[in-house]
Amino acid sequence: MRRLSSLAWRSLAARKMRSFLTMVGIALGVAVLFASLSAGATMDAAVDRAAADELGRSDLRVQALEEQGLNPATVDVISRVPGVSVAAPALDRETYLSVGAGQTASMQLPPPVTVLGIDPVRETQLHDMPLSAGRALGAGDLRSAIVTQTLAEQEHLGVGDSVSLDGAAAVGPQAYDVVGIVMGNGPLPEADGRLVFLTLPSAQTLFGTDSVTRVDLGAVPGTSVEELIGQLEASIKSQPYLLSRTEDLAASLRSEMADFRSALLLVAAVVLFAGAFLIFNTLSMTVAELTREVGLLRAAGTTRSQVMGLVMLQALALGVAGSVAGVVAGIGLAVAALSWVGSSGPVSLAGPSLSSGSIVMALLIGTVLTLAASLEPAWRAGRIPPVEALRRGPAGLAAGAARLRWLVIVFVVLALAALAIWPSGVGEGSGAGSLGTGASSGMWGPLAVYGLLLVSVLLVPRLIGPLGRVAGFPLRIFRNEERLARSSLSRDRSRTALTAGALVVGVAMVVALGTAAEDVRKIGSSWLTETIPGSELLTSIRPVSTTDQVVADLAGTPGVKSVSPIGLFGTPYVFVSQTDGRTVKSVVRQEAAAVVGSDYLNDGRLNFVQGARATALAALDAGGSVIVPRSLADTAGIHVGDTMEFATGTAVTQLTVAGIVAHSIPAESQEAILVGWSDATADFGATGADFFAIRYDAGQEATARPNLDATAVSYALEPNQLERVSGTVGDALDRIFKLLDALALIAVLIAGLGMVNTFSMSVLERVREIGVLRATGMTSRQVWSMVVIEAAVLGIVGAFIGAAVGLVVGAVLVAWSSQGFGLAFDPPWLSIALAVCFGVIISIAASIYPAGLASRLSIVKALQHE
Amino acid sequence: MASPSSERPSDYTCDVATQPPISSSSFGRSVGQTRADGAILEARNLTKRYRLGNRDVEALRGVSLRVRRGEFVALMGPSGSGKSTLLQLLGGLDRPTDGEVVLDGEVISHLSDAQATRLRREKTGFVFQFFNLIPLLDVYENVALPFTIAGVDPRHGEAAARIHGVLELVDLLGRERNRPDQLSAGEQQRVALARALVGRPAILLADEPTGNLDYATGGEILDELWRSCDKLGQTIVLVTHDARAAAHADRVLVVGDGRIRDEIELGRRENRDARPLIDRLSQLGL
Repeated sequence: MRRLSSLAWRSLAARKMRSFLTMVGIALGVAVLFASLSAGATMDAAVDRAAADELGRSDLRVQALEEQGLNPATVDVISRVPGVSVAAPALDRETYLSVGAGQTASMQLPPPVTVLGIDPVRETQLHDMPLSAGRALGAGDLRSAIVTQTLAEQEHLGVGDSVSLDGAAAVGPQAYDVVGIVMGNGPLPEADGRLVFLTLPSAQTLFGTDSVTRVDLGAVPGTSVEELIGQLEASIKSQPYLLSRTEDLAASLRSEMADFRSALLLVAAVVLFAGAFLIFNTLSMTVAELTREVGLLRAAGTTRSQVMGLVMLQALALGVAGSVAGVVAGIGLAVAALSWVGSSGPVSLAGPSLSSGSIVMALLIGTVLTLAASLEPAWRAGRIPPVEALRRGPAGLAAGAARLRWLVIVFVVLALAALAIWPSGVGEGSGAGSLGTGASSGMWGPLAVYGLLLVSVLLVPRLIGPLGRVAGFPLRIFRNEERLARSSLSRDRSRTALTAGALVVGVAMVVALGTAAEDVRKIGSSWLTETIPGSELLTSIRPVSTTDQVVADLAGTPGVKSVSPIGLFGTPYVFVSQTDGRTVKSVVRQEAAAVVGSDYLNDGRLNFVQGARATALAALDAGGSVIVPRSLADTAGIHVGDTMEFATGTAVTQLTVAGIVAHSIPAESQEAILVGWSDATADFGATGADFFAIRYDAGQEATARPNLDATAVSYALEPNQLERVSGTVGDALDRIFKLLDALALIAVLIAGLGMVNTFSMSVLERVREIGVLRATGMTSRQVWSMVVIEAAVLGIVGAFIGAAVGLVVGAVLVAWSSQGFGLAFDPPWLSIALAVCFGVIISIAASIYPAGLASRLSIVKALQHE
Repeated sequence: MASPSSERPSDYTCDVATQPPISSSSFGRSVGQTRADGAILEARNLTKRYRLGNRDVEALRGVSLRVRRGEFVALMGPSGSGKSTLLQLLGGLDRPTDGEVVLDGEVISHLSDAQATRLRREKTGFVFQFFNLIPLLDVYENVALPFTIAGVDPRHGEAAARIHGVLELVDLLGRERNRPDQLSAGEQQRVALARALVGRPAILLADEPTGNLDYATGGEILDELWRSCDKLGQTIVLVTHDARAAAHADRVLVVGDGRIRDEIELGRRENRDARPLIDRLSQLGL
C-alpha cells in the first residue's frame, strides 16, 4: 500500500492547479467554520467573564424585583438566613457627572455613569477589586470614591481629584474625592466601564433611599446553594426578589446572543456545504481521468478497497492541508468578524478566543467532511471493472442516484457536526427565570433552511435544461458558440448540477439574509410605531415621578399635544402550569410597563386581538386590570377575563386581563404587560416614568420640538425621535447581517473555485473535439467564447435559481420572524440583483483560465489526444 | 463479397468538387494560380524538428512533393516515419521548421493563426482515424459544422442543398437526427467524410481514416474516398501504413525516416488491387 500511496501523491502533484484550488476551497470553508466557532467561544468566554466579574465569589445573588429595591428589613432577614456566611448589599443607580463651575449645559446629555454603593468590608470578601492606583474604600469613607480606569481615562480623573455626581432632586450634586482607581471596566458589563464606587451609606444618601438593589451571598462551608435557596425562600416573605447564580446570569446573557450564534453556524454550514461540492467535483474528475490507470491497477490485482484507499488518501491530504490553512485564515476572519460586530448586548467581544477545542473541532470537521465528500467518488473508483476501464476513455461522472447518495451523506455528516458543535443554551428560550417569549428559533430553524437548500440543489438537474435555453437567449448573437456551450452543459447534467448547486446555495443564502435583514429592520420600526403613543421619546436614566414638575413643563410646551409617561419594571408573575396532572405555581419575572390608557384611546395604536379597546384602556386607568401581549397569552394560556396573580410581597396582587394586544412595548428581553399607573405605584413599587412619549399637534412638530428638547435636557431627559430609535436598532442589526452576508459570499467564491475545476475538466474532456472544431475552421477566439458562454449560461441559471430559492428561504424567515405584523413581503430587489450579478461574474471569471487553455490548445496535439 | 457501395442507385449525383467553396479569399503569398503540371499542392524542402525532453527530434528532413488537382496520393510508411507530421504541415495544422507549403497557388506554411483558421475553413477538409465527431451534435449538425462556424445558416439555401448532397453521397440520408453514439463506427466515419467534403475543399486530407475500423467497413470508407476522387475530381492525400488502403491511391509516396523514400505510380484503377503495390514494396525491402 505504501507504494500505491505514492500514486495518490503523484496524482495530486500532477494536477497542481486543481489540487490547489480545492485546498483553497476547503480552507475557505474551514475558515468560516473556525471563525464561527471562535466567535462562539469568544462569546462564551466573554459571557463567563462578565458573569464572574459581576458575581465574583458569591454563591447566590438576591436581586430586587421592584424598582424601589430591597428595604433594610429584607436585607436584615437575608443576612440572618441560616447558611449565609457573608451578605454583601449594594445599590446601583445611574446618574450624571455634575456640570462643573464655569461649564455650561449643552443640548446633548453626556453619557451617564453608574454608581455602585458597596459595603467595603463585605464586598471585598466576595469580589476582587484590583486597583491600578490609590487605595480601597474604607467603611468610614463617606466623601470618597473609587472610579474605574476606563472612566478615569474618559474624564481625565486621577487619585486626589474630585468627582461630582448628580443626586436625587432633594440632595443635588455631591462631590467626592477619588481615592483609588479600579483596573479595567469594573464588574458591571452594562455600565460600559463608566462606574463609580461609593460606600453604601454614601450612595443611599446621594439617591435618597435606604434600599439596596441586590445582596450577594457567600454560603457557609458545607451549605449547598440549593439549601441556601430553600432557606431564603422560607425566610423572605415581604418583598419580591429574584435569585441568580453565576450560571443563571451567564445563561441569560447567552440567550441574548443565541440568534446571532445560530445564524453564524448556519452560514458556516452553508459555506462548508459549498466546499463539499468542490471536493466531490474535484475527486470525481480525478477518478474520471484516472479510469484507465485504475483499470490497469485492477487488472494487475489491486483490490477495490485499495483503489478506494487511493482516492480517500488524496482526499485526506487535501482535507488536512485545507483545514490547517483554513484554521490559520479563520483566525484572521474571526478577528475581523468580531471587531466588525464589536459587542453583543452588554458583552464586549474584543479579540477572538483561540481555544484548542475550536481548532481541533474545525480541523476535524474539515477533514471528516472532505472524506465524506470523497466517499462516493472513491466508491465509484473501486467499482471500475478492469476491462471497462481499459476499453473506454474517461469515465462519466456521477449519475443521478450517485449524486443523491452523495448529497445525503454530506447532509447527514454536516447535520451531525452541527449537533456536535451546537452550543448549549442557544435556542433554549430567553433566559432563566422568565417565560420565553423572544424569537429564538433554536437549531431546528437553521436545519430546516439547510434542508430547503438541499432540496433545491436536488431540483437543479431538472431545471438546468429549460433554464439554460432561456439563459442562453441573450447570448445567441454568438450562435454557434452558444449552441455548443449549452450542449456542453447538458453533456453531464450531474456535474453541471453539482457545479451550479454550489452557486445556488451561496446566492440563495446571500439573498435570504438580505431579505431577512430588510424584514427585521421593518419589524423594529413597526413595533415601536404600533406601541409607543407618540413620535418622540424622552428617556431618563432614573424614574421620574409622574407628578413631577417636569411633566407639567413638557406638557405646557406650545405645540405639544400630549406627554405620556411610561415606566418599565419587573413583576413577580405567578405562572400556573400543569405537570404530571398536578397544578404547579412558579414565580417568574415578567416585565411590565405602566402606561396611561387614555393616551392610546384615539390614535389607533395597540392592536387588540381580544377584548374591547375602549373598555380595556379605561379599565387600565381605573386600576385592577392588565393588558397582555399575545406572545405571553399564547405561552401561558391567558384569555380576557382571566386573573393574573403577582407575588408582590406578603400579599398576592390580582389583576384582571382586560385585553390582549398583538404587540406590546418591548422591554429588556420580552414584551411588557401593560398596567395602569395606579397599580404600578401601589402594588409593584414603580416610582416613576423611564421615558415619556411625546405627541405633537398636527403640523407643529418642527417648531415645537426645539423648545421641548431644550426643556427635556434641562431635566436630564434625552430626546430621541422614534425613527432614530428604530434606525439605531436597525444599524446594529445591519452590521450583523452584513457580516453574515460577507461570510455567505465566501460560499459563492468557493462555488467559483469549483467552476474553475469543472470548466477545466470540461475542456480536458473535449480536447479532441476542440481540435476538430479548430481543424474545421473555428478560431481560437470562438473557442474562448464558447467556454466563457458556457460559464455565463451556468452562472445565470445558478444565480437565478439561487435568487429564487433565496427568496423562498427569505420568505420563510420573514414568516417566522414577522411576529404577526402582517408586513408585505418586500424583498430588497437591488441587493438581490447585485447578488445575481456577483454570481454570474464569479462564474464568468472562473471560466477565464479554462477558456484560455482551450483557445491555446495545439490542434495537432488535440487531435492526437485520447 | 460485393461492395456495399456498388448497390447504391444514384451515386454522386451532386457535383461537390466542381463548385467553388463557401467563400474564397487569399491567405498567403500568391505564387500563380495555375501550374503547368496542374499541381494544387506543393511541399518544398519541408523540415520539422521537435523538442522531446532535452533532445531535438527531426521528424521531417527536407521533404518535397507535388499533388496534382484531382489526384489521389497516399503517404505510406511505418509508425514514426513522419507521414502524419507531413500531413499536418500540408493541411496548415502545423508550421514547418523550414521549407514551405503551397496550396492552390498560395504559400500557406507561415500564416498567422487567423489566416490558417480561414484556410482550414475554406480550402481543406480533414478526416481522422478517430472519427472526431462532436457527440452533442446530431449527424446533420456535425456535417453542417463548417457552415455553422463560418456563420452560414445550414438549414436554408445552398448550404442545405450541399449538406443534402454529401449525406446522399455517404448514404446517410434519413439518419440526420441521429447522434454519433447511435451510429456504427463506419457510419460515424462516413459522417466525418461528409463533413470534410461539404465545404468543397481544394484538398481532402485523411489521416489513417480506416485505422479504427474493421476490414469490411474500412474498405467501404476507402471506396467512398476513391469515388469522390474518381467521379468528382476531389484531390485527396491519404496517410496510411496499410498497403491495402494505399492501393486505392493513384500514386504512393513511401515515407521513412523523415524523407520520401520512394514513389510508386499506380494510376487510376477500378479494381484497386493491392498486389502490385505489395510486390513493389517487397522489391524495396519494405
